[in-house]
Amino acid sequence: MGYVHDTHCSKFIPPTLFHVGAVGTWTQAAGAVAGTICQTVNDANQTSTVNIPIVIPSCSTAQTGSLLKSVEVDFTIRAGALTALTAVFNKITRGANLGIAVVAPLAFTYDTGHDIAAERIDVDEHKMTLTLDEPIWLLNTEYCLVELTIDQAGATDVIDLLGAVANYTYRV
Amino acid sequence: MGYVHNVHMSQYIPPTAMHCVTGTYTNVAGQVIDTVCVHRAANAATGVVNIPIILPSSTTGQQGAMLNSIEVDYELLVAVAVSVTAVLNKVTRGADTAVASVAVPTITQDLAAGVAAVVQDQHKMTVTVTTPAWTDDDEYYLLEMSFECGAAVTIDVLAAVANYTLRV
Repeated sequence: MGYVHDTHCSKFIPPTLFHVGAVGTWTQAAGAVAGTICQTVNDANQTSTVNIPIVIPSCSTAQTGSLLKSVEVDFTIRAGALTALTAVFNKITRGANLGIAVVAPLAFTYDTGHDIAAERIDVDEHKMTLTLDEPIWLLNTEYCLVELTIDQAGATDVIDLLGAVANYTYRV
Repeated sequence: MGYVHNVHMSQYIPPTAMHCVTGTYTNVAGQVIDTVCVHRAANAATGVVNIPIILPSSTTGQQGAMLNSIEVDYELLVAVAVSVTAVLNKVTRGADTAVASVAVPTITQDLAAGVAAVVQDQHKMTVTVTTPAWTDDDEYYLLEMSFECGAAVTIDVLAAVANYTLRV
């Protein structure tokens, strides 16, 4: 039996799977481009947290399943610039029965268009790529969340989250 | 190293992944015990449910997933609807600082929009892509379901299933 080792796999993660938390009023809305969708937050002086679940295959065998390499996040900032937008790449190891989960932040690098804070907040269309410094094989006891912290202290700004794409090597 | 070319793959898409606008939608139990659905309350307007087609894609041409068809399970309750229409949108993501663009591939909807699709009953609508194509990593599909309703009808959307060819 052969096996697959494909280094070019990607998976779209729609905004409906994002965890938008309790801060801010998030609604499902049509995107600015007809035929697209987004999750949008209200214009208010607030800092909200959005977690993007990275829904790709994992495996109970080491070094098989998915080798997560990067995540791209598509968003639009409208009306006014944000005060800040930062990302954290968390790997969660699920707890055993009666045990709590353990979270480990992973080192990553922003793409060159978003590695300066000011580049992440301007009014524009954004395709922000977060590349893991060391890609990881995901065990079946693990998953990843990309956490975005969105500071709208300017209170004249709106962000539309259009989706994300996870890039990975698939080995089965 | 071998490779996989499987023409019989399917992916269940739960109602919790669907994007619903115009109307009041809630996650509730389905009509059949132990099922789930997204429920739209009666509203004399056209409700739009976008179903994100969550399939693998690839940075390499002619690999990843080729979308062949989508099945949508829904139920019309209380009364008949006016029309139920599917549109498949293929979104090409924008580069940084650029907007996305949308194309509308040709499809066939097996239940006629104002006839078989609107009956007060359980429905399994199959939407078939006329010319299936491999999905690039900068592309994704949204199946836009428009439910044109009178004042009485309510809708339960139970699930969708995407049928595709997998090549990795």
